[in-house]
Amino acid sequence: MTEVSTNFKDCIQDQIHSGDDTDFALSPELRSSSLAILNEGIFPTRKDEEWRYTPLKDILGRKFEFISNDKLNPDLLVEHKKVVPDAQHIVFINGEYSAEFSDDLTQQANAGLAIKLMTDLDPTDRQKAENIIQNSKLSDNSIFQHIALGLSQSGLFIDATNDTEIAKPLHLLFLSSTAGSTSFSNPVNIIHIGQNSSLKIVEQFVSAQDAQAVTIPADYIHLNKGSSLDFYKLGLESEGTDHISNTAVELSESAELNMHQYLLGSRLTRSNSEITFVEPGAQAKLCGIFLGNKSQHLDIRTYMDHAQPNCTSDQSFRGIMNDRSRGVFNGMVLVREHAQNTDAHQSNKNLLLSRDARIDTKPQLEIFADDVKCTHGATIGELDEDALFYLQSRGISKVDAALMLTHAFASEITQEIQIDSLREYVQHKIANRLRHIQTTNA
Amino acid sequence: MLSIKNLHVSIEGKPILRGLNLEVKPGEIHAIMGPNGSGKSTLAHVLSGREGYQIDSGSAIYKNLNLLEMAPEIRAREGIFLAFQYPIEIPGVNNTSFLKKALNEIRKHRGEEELDAIDFLSLIKKQMKLVEMNEDLLRRPVNQGFSGGEKKRNEILQMAVLNPELAILDETDSGLDIDALRIVASGVNKLRTESNAYVVITHYQRLLDHIIPDFVHVLSKGQIIKSGTKELALELEERGYDWLLEKSESPS
Ligand SMILES: Nc1ncnc2c1ncn2[C@@H]1O[C@H](COP(=O)(O)OP(=O)(O)OP(=O)(O)O)[C@@H](O)[C@H]1O
Ligand SMILES: [Mg+2]
Repeated sequence: MTEVSTNFKDCIQDQIHSGDDTDFALSPELRSSSLAILNEGIFPTRKDEEWRYTPLKDILGRKFEFISNDKLNPDLLVEHKKVVPDAQHIVFINGEYSAEFSDDLTQQANAGLAIKLMTDLDPTDRQKAENIIQNSKLSDNSIFQHIALGLSQSGLFIDATNDTEIAKPLHLLFLSSTAGSTSFSNPVNIIHIGQNSSLKIVEQFVSAQDAQAVTIPADYIHLNKGSSLDFYKLGLESEGTDHISNTAVELSESAELNMHQYLLGSRLTRSNSEITFVEPGAQAKLCGIFLGNKSQHLDIRTYMDHAQPNCTSDQSFRGIMNDRSRGVFNGMVLVREHAQNTDAHQSNKNLLLSRDARIDTKPQLEIFADDVKCTHGATIGELDEDALFYLQSRGISKVDAALMLTHAFASEITQEIQIDSLREYVQHKIANRLRHIQTTNA
Repeated sequence: MLSIKNLHVSIEGKPILRGLNLEVKPGEIHAIMGPNGSGKSTLAHVLSGREGYQIDSGSAIYKNLNLLEMAPEIRAREGIFLAFQYPIEIPGVNNTSFLKKALNEIRKHRGEEELDAIDFLSLIKKQMKLVEMNEDLLRRPVNQGFSGGEKKRNEILQMAVLNPELAILDETDSGLDIDALRIVASGVNKLRTESNAYVVITHYQRLLDHIIPDFVHVLSKGQIIKSGTKELALELEERGYDWLLEKSESPS
């Protein structure tokens, strides 16, 4: 990155013209169609149904400028690694892979798991990885996916072999630092899980204090027959960060996805997850919390494509909005014509903690098959007055009572986190964030 | 301990309590009876500080404190406890940690040291015996999915742990089977001391066989129209409220 002050669109243009073919994560063939879209440079507006509640004015108006010469404090990474202590840690700083802070990739920490840099793939791996991208067609085909596909110069190819239970979680840390200019990162990660294997991944997006950053990652994931993935995404970036991510997952026969998202950070977060059942008998569980304060904007979009019969999906997302924050939940469940015996559930419950907070929720169900079990629902509410009074009548202050009730609301989701240290960390982060909310309101 | 004088309370402009007077001294048990809708729960809620009630006039002085101006949690910390007629279910809040937090808030207020997990557990185990409550209920969210009787026992467990000076029991006997009724009553009797007092709201003489009141009051249309001793409850059991209501209709 240069240190000249420039805006978002110029920044994209600069990147189109920077670097040789070998610097990029993906092959020129794959990049070319994305580059065409980038050259057109059309950003979604509020007339686009999928972006109706999420204005891009702030991100497009953002200045990319010099921030500081600060050196990154390595203690910061030590702290973050403790979130999943017994893991294979891989660190990206301002979007670039950091060999210094990552566990050595050549020393396979996990038997059966190969992790390679996208910029460093041999032709066989490249073919395998890029096939996964080519097979995923996102329904939200906005320019952001192409910022990752066309311009990324970093990312990993994570390849789990067949018939292996990968014991150690993979902990991917994406850190924006205050060193240099506004950080721009757009890693592309491709994850391939072999038949009957299982893997746990924690993606944690964090910032050094006051970092200014734009993070536009994309993950493409393929689960082969009988495999399973536990995928946790933590959005904990600074207020100076805009984060727009896309995650595409394909599930083969009997595969199982458990995906959690805890989005507490950034000025703007847009997280789009698209799940496609490409073979029968698979299941996907999606859940998450989005918690906003001040004027944060958090947008969760999910697209569950039941393209095959006998699949099960279950989604449960909870929003907690305070101050002037805005939340958006936009969840589509599509059951295609021959996807008989589909079992699909979706729920979005929201808590508004302030008069100025707002939530727009749009659960959608489109069913073309006839033998299906589908439910969906959304609620928006405030804290239960009767429950507040009950707690107060036992000596608990109103602030603490509100805290307990809000925390309880979130813990019905977080208690499902299967990694103990991670569960404690997320619950602690949420509690901290709520404490902040309560004290600023009191 | 508690002195209520000429209390007028309305809800959304509708008068509910209309000049209520009540004096409660330490060590006393007062029973309040009266027809449905006469304002018994309203009185209990107003004393414990629930929002939504308009205090039109009158006063309630508790231990020299102007009760009606205090936040509900401060009243609780000062020793007021309401056993709810309809206890609230609170999903996601663990029954034990809730009660530990409540107790420690009250202890802090009294200038006592907070109890750690171990001391709290031994206290709660002891008090659970008093109400013969199933230990499973401690691990569950507050009242969630509890049966009607389990909820009422949970109220009495909370009372036993928090050790209030003035306990208001709002129809704690409703929904209890005969054994549970006896257990709850004997719990109250064991917790009874010379320095604490009870206001027991009930429809049934049955409870008052176990918890012997010093005074029985009849509340009707927001006023206490008759006060007496435990014999009054027996008389009400026999004769109903009509004879009293007729009397109170005539100008006093
Ligand atoms: N939130 C409210 N809004 C309107 N009216 C109310 C409200 N709460 C209570 N009331 C009315 O106030 C009156 C007294 O109610 P309260 O619950 O105090 O009666 P109660 O004596 O406890 O009756 P019960 O024996 O049935 O428990 C009733 O007429 C009731 O309908
Ligand atoms: Mg009542």
